[in-house]
Amino acid sequence: MTAIGAKPAAGATMDIPSTIAGIILLIVIVGATYFLVGPGMMFYALLGVIIGGLLISFGVHFVPVGGAPAAMGQAPGIATGVAMLAAGAGLAGLFGGAWAAEQGLAVAVITGAVGGGLMMAITCMFVTFIYVFGMGIPSASGKVAKDPITGDTQTEYKSQGTEGHGLPFVSYVGGVTGGILGGGGGTLIYIMLLDVYKEALPAMMKAQAAQVVPIAVSLAGIFAIGMFLVNAVLTAYNITGTIEGPHDPKFKRFPRALVASAVASALCGMVAILIVAM
Amino acid sequence: MESIAFGIGITALAGALAAVAGAAENTESDIGSQGDPNSQVQLAPQMGYLHRIFNKAIAGEPPAYGLWVALGAGLAWAFMAMHVNPILAIVLGCALAVFVQGVYATTAYLGRIASLSKFGQPVFIDVLKSMTTVTMAHAFVAIFTTVTICHLINAALGHPFPLPLLGLVWGIALGAAGSATGNPFYGKERQYQTQKFGAGVPIAASGNIVRYAEAGERNSLDNGWFSAKLGGPASGLCFGLIVFLELWRTVLFEKVGAGWGAIVVGIIMILIFTVIDRYIEVWARKTYGPYTEPAKEGS
Repeated sequence: MTAIGAKPAAGATMDIPSTIAGIILLIVIVGATYFLVGPGMMFYALLGVIIGGLLISFGVHFVPVGGAPAAMGQAPGIATGVAMLAAGAGLAGLFGGAWAAEQGLAVAVITGAVGGGLMMAITCMFVTFIYVFGMGIPSASGKVAKDPITGDTQTEYKSQGTEGHGLPFVSYVGGVTGGILGGGGGTLIYIMLLDVYKEALPAMMKAQAAQVVPIAVSLAGIFAIGMFLVNAVLTAYNITGTIEGPHDPKFKRFPRALVASAVASALCGMVAILIVAM
Repeated sequence: MESIAFGIGITALAGALAAVAGAAENTESDIGSQGDPNSQVQLAPQMGYLHRIFNKAIAGEPPAYGLWVALGAGLAWAFMAMHVNPILAIVLGCALAVFVQGVYATTAYLGRIASLSKFGQPVFIDVLKSMTTVTMAHAFVAIFTTVTICHLINAALGHPFPLPLLGLVWGIALGAAGSATGNPFYGKERQYQTQKFGAGVPIAASGNIVRYAEAGERNSLDNGWFSAKLGGPASGLCFGLIVFLELWRTVLFEKVGAGWGAIVVGIIMILIFTVIDRYIEVWARKTYGPYTEPAKEGS
């Protein structure tokens, strides 16, 4: 999209009928899964998948993305798309989390979260590096007069005819927070599905537990990546274009995305679980 | 001890390969104008500025690289399953993936530029002939190095994900890092060299890209030459550090405190990068100083 079309609108209001419809749909999906698989590990895995999806969706709102305007120094943020950057960070986290899967749920999820945060920290630092040393532009936000964390004033560093540029410190912190939530959420989905597949596949394929591990890992990994992209893209539509980070008025839109993300994650999770449960 | 030394060696090799991958990826995307600044290349003819710049952005860099690296890794994996030597398998897999990239580049360029014919923008067959092969060559370097990293992570360090899945993960991460880091340098510093250095591009200047280079009309090979100076190496360093530090903290500290060692080291590294970022930000504010009060005259 062009910078001309990137005029942000807050629009944080919830559409009540759609929200109610979404919640009813969520209850129906969760109820149907409970009816089909009964109380137990598989049902709790679905709840874990939904929580993971919510973490990803909430995390994506933190990631400062400026798209094409950012690449010209016309708007603050990172010069790429919301879904892409969040997916990159979250998948880097999932990579670490999957590696630590044997060490328990808590360690794996936190490892995944730190992996996503580390990817974003390095990327955001290099973004600032390029803006400052490659383009000679200091960071300036167009959405707030002062940086909410450092208190730095913004307007006098903004060049004329732009909405701001660079990556103010609050956006940096937002990026790292988004990476942490995305990496943790993706890893949670992966671990939940991995447990389900490890449990169900041996009986289904008439094989020993050790033989199904590669299949379980692959299947859980593919579903985790898929659900990551579902939630990231869905959230990108909620953000529409660019966002500066947690201080951006668009950030207030996140409840809408959370409802949609819960429904989408529940549906994807149900499919992912039922392929081995039925 | 030996296994740790082996792990560190593999980590260093993967980090070095990642640095090459990032640099090649950014240069490739700038030659093909695939990153976010592509909207300006697309917009230029509509504003009356015809150009000879390649434009193949029909999808973002991260998903496109996710596809190509996963394809290269998947084919390499299949060749290895057929007992082909891993090095040969990776080369063959990546070569085939690059042909897909070439088809993508050709159709994307023709489609995108043909859509601008109503604004008088012609399709230059010589641009297509000379530049597609150059983007393919850069893409091969990026895909080959990334698939090799994935193979090292899988075969030598024992990551549970199979090769194609690792290819998808690191392909998307490669595209995300390169797109975030290198693109602004190409977008602002290259496409808008008529604009003042040390300021953003005014929104009113959208589409008014610089179309003439040192030797005649600018083409995308000039853009590759320009990006290779800073945007490419910075993207390479960025992706190299991501791969190296992610592997390094796991290989060295995973066993410490039942996994918590790697977490603590990761948090410390995040804090270090935060301090560096803040230092650069404050340095820029002090060195460049505040712009004068917004003046009434145009930029």
